[in-house]
Amino acid sequence: MAKEQMMTGCRAAAEGAKAAEVEVICSYPIRPYTAIMMELAKMVANGELNAEFVHGEGEHAQLSVTLGACASGARAFTGSSGVGVTYAMEVYSPMAGGRYPAQMSIADRTLDPPGDFGSEHTDAMSTRDQGWLLGWASSPQEVYDNTLIAYRVGEDHRVMLPQMVCQDGYFISHIPDKIVLGERSQVKEFLPPYRPIGPLSTTKPVSHGPQIRPDQGAPMDAMRAQTFLAVPKVIEEATADFNRIFGRKYDPFVEQYKLKDAEIAFFIMGAHANTCRASVDRLRKKGVKAGMARLRWVRPWPTHQLAKALGHVKAIGVIETSTSYGGAMRGGNLIHELRASLYDLDKRPLVTSFMGGLGGETIWPADFDYMAKILTKMVKEKRTRNYVYWLGM
Amino acid sequence: MAKGLPGYGTIKVPKDREVPFGAVTPAPVCTQNLFQTSNWRIVRPVKDDEKCTRCLICYLSCPDACWIYKEKENEMEWVAGFCKGCQICIHECPTGALTAVPELDFPDGVIRLEKPF
Repeated sequence: MAKEQMMTGCRAAAEGAKAAEVEVICSYPIRPYTAIMMELAKMVANGELNAEFVHGEGEHAQLSVTLGACASGARAFTGSSGVGVTYAMEVYSPMAGGRYPAQMSIADRTLDPPGDFGSEHTDAMSTRDQGWLLGWASSPQEVYDNTLIAYRVGEDHRVMLPQMVCQDGYFISHIPDKIVLGERSQVKEFLPPYRPIGPLSTTKPVSHGPQIRPDQGAPMDAMRAQTFLAVPKVIEEATADFNRIFGRKYDPFVEQYKLKDAEIAFFIMGAHANTCRASVDRLRKKGVKAGMARLRWVRPWPTHQLAKALGHVKAIGVIETSTSYGGAMRGGNLIHELRASLYDLDKRPLVTSFMGGLGGETIWPADFDYMAKILTKMVKEKRTRNYVYWLGM
Repeated sequence: MAKGLPGYGTIKVPKDREVPFGAVTPAPVCTQNLFQTSNWRIVRPVKDDEKCTRCLICYLSCPDACWIYKEKENEMEWVAGFCKGCQICIHECPTGALTAVPELDFPDGVIRLEKPF
């Protein structure tokens, strides 16, 4: 069995990219993700990884270089944080529409203004409808694992889509945790080499990214949407293979923690799930039937899986670490999609949301106690008083 | 429980409307008719063969290679599918052999009121 090591999320992402034997890496510094590139630069300099390391002149260039590398048939890797993620906004849709399965590793950072280093999911969440696969990890181990799983899913010929592998800045990216890296043979068995479709070639010339007519736009969109119908099955296959080869126990879409007999549940993703798990245990000791559902993929959104996992719960508290100013519930993004997913159930759970972990704030165990109190009250009153509560405000 | 929930429906793109995967097409040897770019033209250059001296300046100045010299006929040929109507050729023509004519004047004009695009 492989050795257990202590590693930060950034190092884990770099180790994942190294294990995937990425061929082109494009960097531009912004913290906290920048440590991923520092690790990769070291690996390339030390001869541990045979990759082309390109410095972009900004995030837009980073993504463009990655797109080009992927178009030429290379397994490409890039990443960013916070405003860097949004600066590259133009390139996300062409990258997904052109079907370039490159990977972007994101360590979340709050968007400006006026400048905050803390983690918040709004950066990557703001790209969620651009056609990328998008998911969050809750530990350095999962960052490493998701790096491999995302490449495998994205490069599958039924999919061919770029992937965002996200981790919370600092909470995951900079706090070392126990991690077991895969053996070379395991990675080889799990992740086949990247086989591009119609790559740029001097012997078989092709055109990429042409101008299309408006009447070709709708079929193009429909074909992209069609792909997303096929993605869940590929994710299930890849996760099952990963669990078998690496000996892990991931649920493909939703981690379900003590949910079976739960009356109230927290719906969460990312780093704060760790505090949430411990809080569920503590609440259970006090006699509160709490549980947790942790989302692993935001795109594709696991509508049916969530209805199945959470349909029996009486009240759900969505912990939002991203903002949707002026949105339907005036809080975050996740509650919209969770409520929509549960709408067609005969017996719908009550759903509210809690704005927490914004700007890099910690969600403390006491916050979970407070949330549980509100959820319990909702069960008792059989009604949702507010769509959203702001923790500590 | 999860039973009885709505499905995601099916998407069937009609065969005649399919777009190449990722819009990747074989590189054009001469012209790539899969993706035409002339649909936003509002005027087109019309040539006067009497005034044209076959100097090929239109051929050289066109950013989209929409003027072809037909050697056998000793004539310039205009490529309708890719001309965006930028009028550079009209500006550059030294003998004034080219005129900008509105698309609406042609039965095959790309801007038709009943079918704007």
